[in-house]
Amino acid sequence: MVRLTIDNQIVEAEEGSTIFDATSKIGIYIPALCYHESLSPGGSCRLCVVEIIANGTSDLMAACTYPAEEGLEVRTNSEKVVKARRLAMELLLAQRPHSARLQELARELGIDKTSFTMKEQECILCGLCVRTCREIVGVDAINFIAQGIGRDNEEPSIEVSLVKCIGCDSCAYICPTDAIAVEDVGDTRILTTPSGKLEFKLKRCNTCGKYWAPEKQLDYIIEKVDLASDAFDNCPDCRD
Amino acid sequence: MSKVIFSSWAGKVVDNRGLHPNEYASAEDLRLPLQYNGHRVTAFMSWNGLVVADDKVDIVDMAHTYLKEVQKLSCGECSVGYLGIKIMLGILAGIANGKGSDEDIKLLRWLGAGVKENARCDFCPSAITPVLDTLNYYKEEYVKPIASRKGRAKSTYMTRVTAPCMEVCPAHQDIPGYIELIRNRRYKEALELIRKTNCLPRITGRACVAFCEANCTRNEIDSPVAIRALKRFAADCETDSGLEPTFDKVKAGKPRVAVIGAGPAGLAASYNLALMGYKVTIYDELPAAGGMALVGIPPYRLPRGILERESDIIRRLGVKIKLNTKLGRDITLEQLSADGFKAIFIATGAHLGREFDIQNWRQGYAGLADGVEFLRDVNLGKKIEAKDRAIIVGGGNVAIDCARTCLRLGFKDVTIVYRRSRVEMPGRAEEVGPAEKEGVRIHFLATPVRVLTEGDKVIGAECIRMELGEPDASGRRRPIPVEGSEFVLPADMIISAIGEAPDLSFLAEGQPIETTEQGTIRVDQLSYQTSQVGVFSGGDCVTGPATLIEAIAAGNRVARSVDQYLASGRIVQYEEDTAKSLTHDIGLWRQRREGIIAKSSRQSPEQLQPSDRVLSFDEVESCLTAEAAVKEAERCLRCYRVMLLAVELVKEGEADG
Repeated sequence: MVRLTIDNQIVEAEEGSTIFDATSKIGIYIPALCYHESLSPGGSCRLCVVEIIANGTSDLMAACTYPAEEGLEVRTNSEKVVKARRLAMELLLAQRPHSARLQELARELGIDKTSFTMKEQECILCGLCVRTCREIVGVDAINFIAQGIGRDNEEPSIEVSLVKCIGCDSCAYICPTDAIAVEDVGDTRILTTPSGKLEFKLKRCNTCGKYWAPEKQLDYIIEKVDLASDAFDNCPDCRD
Repeated sequence: MSKVIFSSWAGKVVDNRGLHPNEYASAEDLRLPLQYNGHRVTAFMSWNGLVVADDKVDIVDMAHTYLKEVQKLSCGECSVGYLGIKIMLGILAGIANGKGSDEDIKLLRWLGAGVKENARCDFCPSAITPVLDTLNYYKEEYVKPIASRKGRAKSTYMTRVTAPCMEVCPAHQDIPGYIELIRNRRYKEALELIRKTNCLPRITGRACVAFCEANCTRNEIDSPVAIRALKRFAADCETDSGLEPTFDKVKAGKPRVAVIGAGPAGLAASYNLALMGYKVTIYDELPAAGGMALVGIPPYRLPRGILERESDIIRRLGVKIKLNTKLGRDITLEQLSADGFKAIFIATGAHLGREFDIQNWRQGYAGLADGVEFLRDVNLGKKIEAKDRAIIVGGGNVAIDCARTCLRLGFKDVTIVYRRSRVEMPGRAEEVGPAEKEGVRIHFLATPVRVLTEGDKVIGAECIRMELGEPDASGRRRPIPVEGSEFVLPADMIISAIGEAPDLSFLAEGQPIETTEQGTIRVDQLSYQTSQVGVFSGGDCVTGPATLIEAIAAGNRVARSVDQYLASGRIVQYEEDTAKSLTHDIGLWRQRREGIIAKSSRQSPEQLQPSDRVLSFDEVESCLTAEAAVKEAERCLRCYRVMLLAVELVKEGEADG
């Protein structure tokens, strides 16, 4: 256990835990967009920033990634923190003004509009889909296109691999800005992503005839949990 | 120090605007070259400030161009860093084109300060510094185009990107680049990036001295990023997945080039030349490829299969490797030229042990060996009978390798005798430590003076104790024998490992290739050309015994020299040389922003237990797991430094700067 001070309260936190964990424990609310309790932290939305005071200096750090360290002093609501969150929020809102989730977060922070104008882009690169696909689904089909020397890439983006993707739609579910959308049309599932449209053949239920899940996803589950090859011949409604 | 109109370099503001050049105060901490690759530098922007040498430069356009380069290197994964800079770019472009508004300056300040304060990693916050300086010190340059609604003529720019780790790497590898790819689980791309400057990733991923790690910014925070282990991880991923590297098809039909020596330098040059379309034949006197990496690095650090795999990749590019062929014995330079080779690269390494001159050494007693020869014999599979006690003389890596090899051969008692103390030892701590753990003893401040014999056999060494005097030419304190301190160390074998030198006996018959006083081949520093036109040399036979990565870097450069020589007959200055002096002059390691950086522990690959290691020649260190590799990659602080120079072509007759 380590002891640290959060907003003048002394808090005990487990070694290896983060500031975010420690604040949740004592019921301090910290706004966050790219954080999810079932995923590793991303540190990218910058909304969960807190002020850290150590060795006589103060700096803003993301609560979701910064470790709870012995003797640390943390301020979760200082003027510096409030200002930094406002800028991050306004930037996210400028990139994707039509996201209900972003609008809701903005309201929480007392922001009704952004000071910036830019071309709307649905994907805000929060990385939730990347981490969900990798850590929950176990498929790792979504990735950031890496930037770097000689790559001359001015517009970072995510990329969904058609080879790896099983069409499960977990990414569409977790996406806070509707940058990934899923639609089942007849016997086809269409996944619309920032890197293009992906199509998956849907499995037809032997009993009711309904198209109910992507074949590729079912094959993946059969292999992963070692089920009989006919385990999904019927849809959940028609199974005994 | 430089006399310029304005400098905020390293946070120290020198403002000479409105003064006559004679009255300029000089920027003490700034040593900015005012000439760069035939151009006059008019202004400079980088992570540590803004420098203006000529007020003709358009500050707004320059800030825009600089920030655009920064954007390409930002990871793109953080709202403040990426989106903040993206909006700033839009605003800057507007102002530079005469479409700005009064509100813009306020927004730029707000955004810039926000990026500095709250971006995820350290790259964007440090990169934004000079842009904020333009707003603080050159506000009028923004106000003018906003008021007049007119843009200005654009300047010409040159950019360079480096990082503390890259800068000290002889091959200037894009280290943050491949670490970032590993962090994003793009292992194949990471390896492709590594291969652009280093064709032996499996070898260097195991046995590189890693100058990069010694210069990693994390040294000041916790411990350096395990860069070498990450490289090995990327390379081993390819091996483990059974993949083969793919290369772009090259247009063949370029001339033939002969390379003497299949060591790291020879392989690197051949690899690059083959990719450029040259027909390369390598000749090597050893029975397998790898040079010193084969015969000098024991298998417990570099398993044999690894070398074969690396040289096979180079063979598949069309490079022929002719083994058991020695220059001066089986082939000659004249013959190679007559056979149609248009250029020759001599990379024969330094495989000769330095003469050990003590009483009874060269008398044919059984149990005396030279370190380089001993390692070569063992590494090439020659049976060596283990005895009880071995003494190894010397304190370098060859001595350590000999000692650890002796233990694995079954010697019971292995002692290194070194004439200086631990501090002066040239052997790397990361080799010395494991050797001692395995049971090697080190006798500091002593040296053998006489071999003790019985019949035709060695029975020990008479040694003398030393003390340290004044520093010698190498900067290390000179060992001085202590009179009357002789003592005896019993031994069945004595190995001398006191240094290596190139074997240049192939030059004996009046070759026109000049050598140096140090017994190395003399080359032109820029082109690596020897005193004989069309014959190049590099690696250990030019530098004396050095490192793997220096040999690879030499091979890379020789390939470019050979290409230029064969294409045009002349070799031009390398941009990286002038760039290197630029980064050196401006002081790469200093940084104005010192935020708080969380400590995180370095991921270490698993190692065999010392007691198990000495039982065989099995590799001691294993590869990082994927999970550990990604975790380690996340520790990289991305200390990329983007440098932008506004330049003007120097007109004839004013090249003095």
